[in-house]
Amino acid sequence: MLPATVRYRWRRQAAGYAFTGPALLILAAFLLYPIGYSVWLSLHEWDGYTPRWGPFVGLENYRALVADEVFWRAALNSIVFVIVRTPLEVGLGFLLALLLNRRLAARSLLRTLFFVPVVMSLIVVTIIFQRVYEPNTGLLNTVLHAVGLGAWAHPWLGDPATALPAVIAVSVWKNVGFSLVILLAGLQGLPQDVMEAARVDGANAWQLTRRVITPLMRPILALTALLSIIGGLKVFDLVFIMTRGGPTYSTEVLATMLYREAFELNHMGVASAVAVILVAVVLSIARIQALVLRESREIEAA
Amino acid sequence: MSTVVAASVARSRRVVGRRARLGHGAVWAVLLGALALSLAPGLYMVSLSLMDNPQLFAGRLVPVPPHPENYPRAWVASNIGRLYWNSVYVSTVSMVVTVAISAMAGYGLGRLRFAGRGLVYGIVLVGLTIPLQIALIPLFINLRTLGLINTPLALIGPYTAFGLAFGTYIMKGFFQGLPRELEEAARLDGAGEFRIFARVMLPLTRPALATVATFLFLQNWNEFLFALTFVTEGRMRTLPTGIYALLSSEFYGNYPILAASLVLFSVPVLVLYFLFQQQFIEGLTAGALKH
Repeated sequence: MLPATVRYRWRRQAAGYAFTGPALLILAAFLLYPIGYSVWLSLHEWDGYTPRWGPFVGLENYRALVADEVFWRAALNSIVFVIVRTPLEVGLGFLLALLLNRRLAARSLLRTLFFVPVVMSLIVVTIIFQRVYEPNTGLLNTVLHAVGLGAWAHPWLGDPATALPAVIAVSVWKNVGFSLVILLAGLQGLPQDVMEAARVDGANAWQLTRRVITPLMRPILALTALLSIIGGLKVFDLVFIMTRGGPTYSTEVLATMLYREAFELNHMGVASAVAVILVAVVLSIARIQALVLRESREIEAA
Repeated sequence: MSTVVAASVARSRRVVGRRARLGHGAVWAVLLGALALSLAPGLYMVSLSLMDNPQLFAGRLVPVPPHPENYPRAWVASNIGRLYWNSVYVSTVSMVVTVAISAMAGYGLGRLRFAGRGLVYGIVLVGLTIPLQIALIPLFINLRTLGLINTPLALIGPYTAFGLAFGTYIMKGFFQGLPRELEEAARLDGAGEFRIFARVMLPLTRPALATVATFLFLQNWNEFLFALTFVTEGRMRTLPTGIYALLSSEFYGNYPILAASLVLFSVPVLVLYFLFQQQFIEGLTAGALKH
């Protein structure tokens, strides 16, 4: 007979595994195993149809990617997507949050309405914007003609030069409300005594925003940016439905390339290599940002 | 002394007040401009859904006269009743299973000490950020081998799994914040671990459960990539891929019908949103705010 304390401790261990076991099993089957499988497939050549994967080719799929112009195009587009989208999303969200963070009639109604695009399905949003950008009778060109800017009317999605910016604009439109709500919650959580003290010292609204509010908001701004960066790297639906990566790969991103390689070209090995690269990039950014956030929290605490 | 401070505060408030009035107009102008931009595309969709093709091709913005008959036609043409049912079924089943499993896992991670807890939590955190594209090809191959392509299970399994990290993360945070006393009182009464969880702790987490359920339901409801890849047969499609399929069907030529289908797709969620705004906003931002 074991002593009671040992039995008790053993029971607690068992309880821990019993409670987390189901989740762990599912995560192992749907997350860990696919990661391993993807890495494995990325080292093989396979069309996806023969019952077993094809020959082991080592890093050949990765080498093929490095030599593939489309891959670099997709990688560059993913980077541009993130670099343009994140500052706009966080910046505009912050601006609107600052404007809403005051005693304003209908503030809560405004917040609700600004959040509508976030709730809307991305598929719906994408199909609407396809129509907005339609060159002849779409909303954007119609409005441009109506206000005398007809010279600016443009086949937005048909021109490789404007397709990516047009897609990014939709992404920003869809997500500004999300940043807005997070940042507004952050603003409302700021210590009111600090703000009041700055006001008593004669700080005007601009000084207050720049010198007091923005530094206090830095951790939550960084967090919002992190979510936007990771979301931007994962983007698939929007590009796939709106342009399918075209015209001439001008909007191809890593996720659409992966889909094309796997399910249109039957290059399972190459597609898996793209997936592995995508995951490596996302996880390293998450890691970097986690470190930055921890640092900023430590500075704050000090 | 305090009257001096009070006077200066009052004075600075008056100055701020005057400037605020001046700035008030500008603030409203920016806010209303932004609001118009964020609502215009949705209103445009509604407007298109009430046009006929000649009005559309004339570049009209307002449907005069309106063509409400587009709606019954869209309902039939897109077989949207079937799509609703598939979406409700897949989204709800996955959501319920995920909530149950992540409540347990959250309790285990948040309140029990056991060897390997850090590792389990690490896997959950990876699951929180990892792009689901990594699982696309392996899952497709395995689902095909198991003969599950074009069945509800092809979506219920992956949706359950990919909501689990989020659910567990939120539930862990919530369980951690509950007071110890309750648990200890129940333990002294001789309650077992599962009884404590189910009878004492779980009822206290209702707000967190609602948040997680809202988030997961919407995520499943809108999911596109898995649905596109694992369900290719028209009858089994969910709303997002069902609507997407309309793009390549004969209805693409009839945009108003497509727009009416989009409105039919969006209305239930938007109605629920306006009824339960707080719940929706909390659900969708919970991952960002609960830190």
